[in-house]
Amino acid sequence: MRVEERLYTLRYKRDEKPHLEIKDQQVCNKCHETYKSPCITVCPANVYSFVEGKIIVSYENCLECGACKIVCPFNNIVWKYPRYGLGISLRYG
Amino acid sequence: MKYDAIVIGAGPSGSASAYTLAKNGYKVLLIERGSEPGAKNVSGAMIRESEISKVFETKDIPFERIVKRVRLIFRSKDDESEIVVKPKSKLYTISRLKFDKWLAQRAESAGALLITKTTVTGIEGNKVITERGSVEGDKIVIAEGANALLSMSLGLRRELKNEETVLGVKEVYASTRNEVEKRFNLQGDEGESWRIITDYPFPSAGFIYTYKDSVAIGVGARVDEIITMGIRPFELLDSFKTPYAELVKGFSLREYSAKIIPENGFPSFKPCEGSVYVAGDALGLVDPLTFDGIGPAIISGYLAGKAENCYSYSKMLFEAREISKVIKSRPLVKELLPNIGLYSHLVNDFLTSWVEGDFSKLKYYKSSLGKLMKHLILGLGVIE
Repeated sequence: MRVEERLYTLRYKRDEKPHLEIKDQQVCNKCHETYKSPCITVCPANVYSFVEGKIIVSYENCLECGACKIVCPFNNIVWKYPRYGLGISLRYG
Repeated sequence: MKYDAIVIGAGPSGSASAYTLAKNGYKVLLIERGSEPGAKNVSGAMIRESEISKVFETKDIPFERIVKRVRLIFRSKDDESEIVVKPKSKLYTISRLKFDKWLAQRAESAGALLITKTTVTGIEGNKVITERGSVEGDKIVIAEGANALLSMSLGLRRELKNEETVLGVKEVYASTRNEVEKRFNLQGDEGESWRIITDYPFPSAGFIYTYKDSVAIGVGARVDEIITMGIRPFELLDSFKTPYAELVKGFSLREYSAKIIPENGFPSFKPCEGSVYVAGDALGLVDPLTFDGIGPAIISGYLAGKAENCYSYSKMLFEAREISKVIKSRPLVKELLPNIGLYSHLVNDFLTSWVEGDFSKLKYYKSSLGKLMKHLILGLGVIE
């Protein structure tokens, strides 16, 4: 099953303001060359992708697990919670 | 506005803390970032009544099923052995949204004020800053969960490392009550839980839990292993699920979720400073041996509510059985994890040899005797 099909099962209330941000794109380039972007591998929701030399962050799909902030070797991800309880809302948990 | 106590996070530890404080006459504010308690929380989930009942009256606990059988499965690429355990004490499977809501309602009934949809962004002295303004509290309990942004910002703990973090991914498949009972051979409220330890495609531990009309399947592996193997978490789940596909065939996927599980924490994380206390996952209190996080969370929240000062909180944590077993289990689990393959082969070979009446296969393990002894001694250390 594709990850997109899994994400369709989820309820999200989108925060207009991204709760995940990249501090410095250049650092992501360096990381991709050296470590193959561990944030991409570890993310269970395909939030991160590397397109034409740039990390794209689809923060709307975030499951708020926090794994990406731990694996980022350069501490280059600003990781916050979405505001006002926005973001994912689980029914089973 | 000033409160006697402010508790951040309405999960098991936060609600236990708010409940304890409110019951003792404190004016308590319980702040939750989710739209309702449990909306942001993920776990298997199985709970032990003996632990919950230390803090809460458990007669109306919103359980899914009472676990009558636990299947322990040791799986390697070609072998599989299963041990069925009938628990003597009361174990329940629960759905976090219902369970966490129930816990928060206990705190509210005791007099705590719960506000949801509010994220705490900082703590300065006795001031708790949220995106809706700030409030003051004489005592602050941080029960913010595994991604402990506040505790880290206050220097009470550091970020977890890859090798001490497990990433768990989980799916819930729903059908009808009848169908779940038929497939697992259950009657009425009875439930079944599965624990699967495997080294294929790499060391991981998974679970299958029966809920009322649904089935939860999940697997966890260490973040450093996930990175090294270059496997995506959902691919790991798919590979783990394959042998159990029949169990949920025709059911519909209702929810996909993920969570990090801390495998390090107190006492290397500070539980308290001044009037700020930390409890639950934020303090890294998941038992790595039994996968029990909710029990230690509730106990630590209760103790944080009760403690009169930092010293006594720390002392009570060490003395609490549920917390000390977490601390004692860590060195053993650190040893066991890289040896999951050895053990799943050993269990399989031992049981097959026994059935076949030929123990010569076990010769291979002679060279591992030193290692096995070390693990046995560490294991004895876990026993009080």
